[in-house]
Amino acid sequence: MVAFGSLINRRRDARPWPRGGVWGGRPPGPALLLAALLAVAVPGVLVTACSGGQAGSGQDGSASSAATVGTAPPATARRPGSALAARLLTQAAQAAVLTTYQGEEIVSHWGTTGGTELVSDIWHVSGGRTVTRTLAAGTYTSSGPYLSADTDGQWPEGVLGVTTQLVRLLQAHYVVAYGGAGSADNRTAQVVEAWRDDGSLAARFWLDDATKLPLEREVFDPAAHVISEDVFINVRFEHQAPAAAPAAGPADPRAPWADPLPAPQLLTLRSYGWLVPPQLPDGLSLFTGAQTQAGTGTVVDLGYSDGLSVVSLFEQHGNLAAKLTGWQKITVAGHAIYAAEPDQRSLTWSSRGMVYTVMADAPAQTVAAVIGALPHDAPPGFWKRMSRGFSRMASWANPFR
Amino acid sequence: MSHLGDRLSALVDGELDGAERDRAYAHLASCEQCRTEAAELRALKQRLRSLVSDAPAEAAMTRRLIAMTGPGGPLPARQRRLRPAARREIRRPGSRGLAGNAHRRRYLVLGTMSLVVGLGTAAFTVGGSGAAAPGPRITPPVEMYSVEHAITTGEVPFTGPSDRPSAGASAVGSDATEP
Repeated sequence: MVAFGSLINRRRDARPWPRGGVWGGRPPGPALLLAALLAVAVPGVLVTACSGGQAGSGQDGSASSAATVGTAPPATARRPGSALAARLLTQAAQAAVLTTYQGEEIVSHWGTTGGTELVSDIWHVSGGRTVTRTLAAGTYTSSGPYLSADTDGQWPEGVLGVTTQLVRLLQAHYVVAYGGAGSADNRTAQVVEAWRDDGSLAARFWLDDATKLPLEREVFDPAAHVISEDVFINVRFEHQAPAAAPAAGPADPRAPWADPLPAPQLLTLRSYGWLVPPQLPDGLSLFTGAQTQAGTGTVVDLGYSDGLSVVSLFEQHGNLAAKLTGWQKITVAGHAIYAAEPDQRSLTWSSRGMVYTVMADAPAQTVAAVIGALPHDAPPGFWKRMSRGFSRMASWANPFR
Repeated sequence: MSHLGDRLSALVDGELDGAERDRAYAHLASCEQCRTEAAELRALKQRLRSLVSDAPAEAAMTRRLIAMTGPGGPLPARQRRLRPAARREIRRPGSRGLAGNAHRRRYLVLGTMSLVVGLGTAAFTVGGSGAAAPGPRITPPVEMYSVEHAITTGEVPFTGPSDRPSAGASAVGSDATEP
């Protein structure tokens, strides 16, 4: 500290030197330049060292350079992306498909109206399907064992959002950094973090050190509130002789979804009268979709994501039923729509002969922006509304109708 | 079986670390009572958070209400109106026929105005719903959508209210009718 203080004092005492020798002094010598350089650099180095606990202990050293002082620069400069973190996430997405495992998953969501807890038993066979049995929890209903619709192991479920497609998008939209070693489910884990460009933490993943299977995920909104927390516990792997999965069938055999379609193929649906925006607000881009036949016609699902937030937009030609059981009228982004109770995670409305239903795992601000960006019927003007009302009332009173 | 107790609140607040956290989650997986309590705690915290965010608007409203009562002087004294009986007493003799016509006209005008306002309000209300566009009437099948959404998100499917009765007491019987 003596040396540090003397350097500071030396710098404070140092007088400015004129470039053109106005004051008749000599240009500073190498020793003085070195002292000035040290005086500027040493405090920053010391502060960085003192606040190193936040910087993580990256094996490749990238995460440890995060701690800085002063105003926060963009995350890309403050917390550089880590090749190790990207590699770990890619391995985790592959492990979720190729590893045989079973365990219990606890999913906690913090919606606009409160929190919800969901507990599921999960069985997965390497390269095969996943069986999920959701238990009664919180305000949710119980359901029987459900066989994943993933036929080729490319779209596994119950893997805490760590799929190949989403990992690719995550790396494109966030700064992915290595967060050091940790533990989850009494197992050693590698921690990977996703940071926004504004320097805020968006998500944290715990990946099993031995198998790279995702064990835990926390997602934060821009205001640093936890909006979802997924935990995989009591995990057992193939060599630990997992119990056989119960017999299960698809949740809704009446409407099996077609194989996921890539974005270019989905965009061609526009020529058939479907609304297919390539982008939605907050950086959500179209990355998957599917079609199915319901009793009331064709349903198109469009999947949007930035790697962390996921929004599914379902479209169907028609109008909303006059009475919607289990739905509540709410206002989002200035538009009157309906929210499915109890968690208000599904939102629906109809506009110009199309019923839109949005399911979102995203911050409330993002959901509101998405709702606002999609079509809504404008409320009629005063005279049009009066005219329509009188016409209807007249039709009620017409005995020859 | 001993429940989580105070540790449940700490878990919801994200204050548990390492092995303690893992133990808490393991208990949560097998204990419905604690899961329900955790969901209620999260809901409570969420409501508190929304209350805090709404507080500035409420404070502004309170300030405005206080300002309305603050600087003003005392309320003006109520003007006592004469009762109809008293009015009748001061009526001049012979003016009864004219006053009766005026009353009738007044009632007629008031009645017509009430009818117009009532019909207008009814027409405005009835005319508010959208025009019936062609096509089927649809109740979104949330459970079916939830299955597809789970494939997209890589998470377990959440079930919805449309295909099965909900266990949430507040949700049961809550219907929305499209205007």
